[in-house]
Amino acid sequence: MMPSLLNKSTAQVTRLGRKGCDTVESLGRAGAFLLQSSVGVPSREGFSLWLRQMHFVGVLSLAIVLVSGLFIGMVLALQGYTILVDFGAEQALGQMVALSLLRELAPVVAALLFAGRAGSALTAEIGLMKATEQLTSMEMIGVDPLKRVVAPRLWAGFVALPILTVGFSVVGIWGGYLVGVEWLGVFEGSYWSNMQASVAFASDVGNGMIKSLVFAVVVTWIAVFQGYDLVPTSEGISRATTRTVVYSSLAVLGLDFVLTAVMFGGL
Amino acid sequence: MKRSKTMEFGVGLFMLAGIVGLVFLGLRVSGLSLSTPTQTFQLEANFANIGGLKPRARVTMAGVTVGRVESIDLDTDWYDARVVMSLDSGLEGELSQDTTAAILTAGLLGEQYIGLSVGGAPEMLADGDTIRDTQSALVLEELIQQFVSSMANN
Amino acid sequence: MHAACPKEGYAPMTDTPFIEIEDLHFSRGEHDIFRGIDMRIPRGQVTAIMGPSGTGKTTLLKLIGGQLTPDRGRVLIDGQDVHRLSRKALFALRKRMGMLFQSGALFSDLNVFENVAFPLRVHTDLPEAMIRDLVLLKLQSVGLRGARALSPAELSGGMARRVALARAIALDPELVLFDEPFVGQDPISMGVLVQLIKRLSEALRLTSLVVSHDIKETLSIADYLYLIADGQVVAHGTPQTLDANQDPRVSQFIHGEPDGPVPFHYPADEFYRDMLGPARPQGAK
Repeated sequence: MMPSLLNKSTAQVTRLGRKGCDTVESLGRAGAFLLQSSVGVPSREGFSLWLRQMHFVGVLSLAIVLVSGLFIGMVLALQGYTILVDFGAEQALGQMVALSLLRELAPVVAALLFAGRAGSALTAEIGLMKATEQLTSMEMIGVDPLKRVVAPRLWAGFVALPILTVGFSVVGIWGGYLVGVEWLGVFEGSYWSNMQASVAFASDVGNGMIKSLVFAVVVTWIAVFQGYDLVPTSEGISRATTRTVVYSSLAVLGLDFVLTAVMFGGL
Repeated sequence: MKRSKTMEFGVGLFMLAGIVGLVFLGLRVSGLSLSTPTQTFQLEANFANIGGLKPRARVTMAGVTVGRVESIDLDTDWYDARVVMSLDSGLEGELSQDTTAAILTAGLLGEQYIGLSVGGAPEMLADGDTIRDTQSALVLEELIQQFVSSMANN
Repeated sequence: MHAACPKEGYAPMTDTPFIEIEDLHFSRGEHDIFRGIDMRIPRGQVTAIMGPSGTGKTTLLKLIGGQLTPDRGRVLIDGQDVHRLSRKALFALRKRMGMLFQSGALFSDLNVFENVAFPLRVHTDLPEAMIRDLVLLKLQSVGLRGARALSPAELSGGMARRVALARAIALDPELVLFDEPFVGQDPISMGVLVQLIKRLSEALRLTSLVVSHDIKETLSIADYLYLIADGQVVAHGTPQTLDANQDPRVSQFIHGEPDGPVPFHYPADEFYRDMLGPARPQGAK
């Protein structure tokens, strides 16, 4: 009995160790992958490939991001109003809506939506190209798929998400205006002036943009790498797509805490 | 080819919308103004207690915003707070030397800001001068303490 | 293209083989796939590599194309050691090769015309009119000039493979690797593909390497055959000599007998013991 128990626990430790090594190894592979594919000389051809991907990950994600932003802004105003009115501070509604959107909600929610809408599609698309040997055949034709397939998608993601985040904020603030001013009757002047008095461009809008840029890099990176690194079967593709959404959501929320602590923790 | 033209147009529009959105966030939401940053001059003031005053707080005069708090640090000569304000350059040479600066609170729970009121001295404050006459922030706990001790004395 | 302007170091047609594989070892995890393979693929001929499925024939093509690196041994293409080349030199070498993939591997975001034009656009600076002529020429040679505007999703499996063939020969390569070109084809498109490979190889003086387990079709186009099993070359020779080979492993494969040295049964306990043994959950030890 003893030796078998010992064997079992040794095997478990071995498995744990192997799993750890695998994780570190795949992290290393992912890092090298990001470096190899994102760094390069831009070309005319690369620009048109990038444009095409901007259309897919950016323009086509616009609708879902804007609609979500509108509703989140409206809900924020409604919830905020009921709390603020207790303190007689409903004039601060604009400030509350704008700050929560700019600092927190717009970068995070837009990144989560982006991971679900564009990230999973990127993973599936690249995975399908891998499964149907398109990446291999590209390599055999003498074209580096990292440059041709991966790089335009990476750069499109890097640029698209910050733009989507701006859209999210703008529409959200407008949604807050609709509910707060048009419906609940907060004085319009105080909605905007309180907002303007409390929002600082560099530290609120700027930091929100930095957050969004970081999320863009992480989400796109995860999505594209999961697609490139998956097991090329239909099961592998579906698993990798799930992994993309799960990993990017966790990464966004975790990083958001770290970034918030660094940016606003000192205040 | 036609499809790619519409796509290019769409992407262009998308990027343009991003820039317009950013401009909106700058002008309408954070209240930046397009005109070149107004000329300012700086004044200093030492307060025994600044309460909850923060950098970028408003500086007002008769309720009109005339500047912002630039920085707050501890003055180790007197162990009080030195507050640097930047004010509209229109006021340079217009404020008398006995101008007072007080830390006020907007409402009971509102933000704190600095209120200036001019005196009658003939000499005027220049860039970099220090306001001598200051009034610290009201700290609620101290008020209560004073009230309680005066009650006890009676 | 390359035939018209020979590069430096381009050896004239000689009797030296185009591809030499020496003592090739390759393993994946703990699973040995190749244990010392030697091959010589002659210039300008159709050579076939055959073997039961799962023997790593596709892996061999990837080793030749430089996408995998062997554990031991080397692959020489036209005198160059594929796995010692710099990335740039390897890509330059790949320009002289075409590869036809099992699934066709057409780029799904490009239409048929653009798929065939892809290698030309990437590797040459030809004017658009000339690219158009070349692409139509290649498509004509596989009989799909009329399908140029279709997207890969609209093609049948056989047509996709023909388009892929047109793409593989777009740069007039010296070597074309065919990965299971006949798998999953109906008899008609199978016949078309056999015809095409034969005709194109002759017309373009291609060195062709066909990996397949379709015996009849392969025997009909190959000039020379290698039979691999268990990670080693079991036999090689012309179709006639292999047909006459008495080695049971060879004759089982060539004549398609269900049982023989390659057993019908997956290794297991003796049947009666398994049936009479105590009931226990499946998979438990």
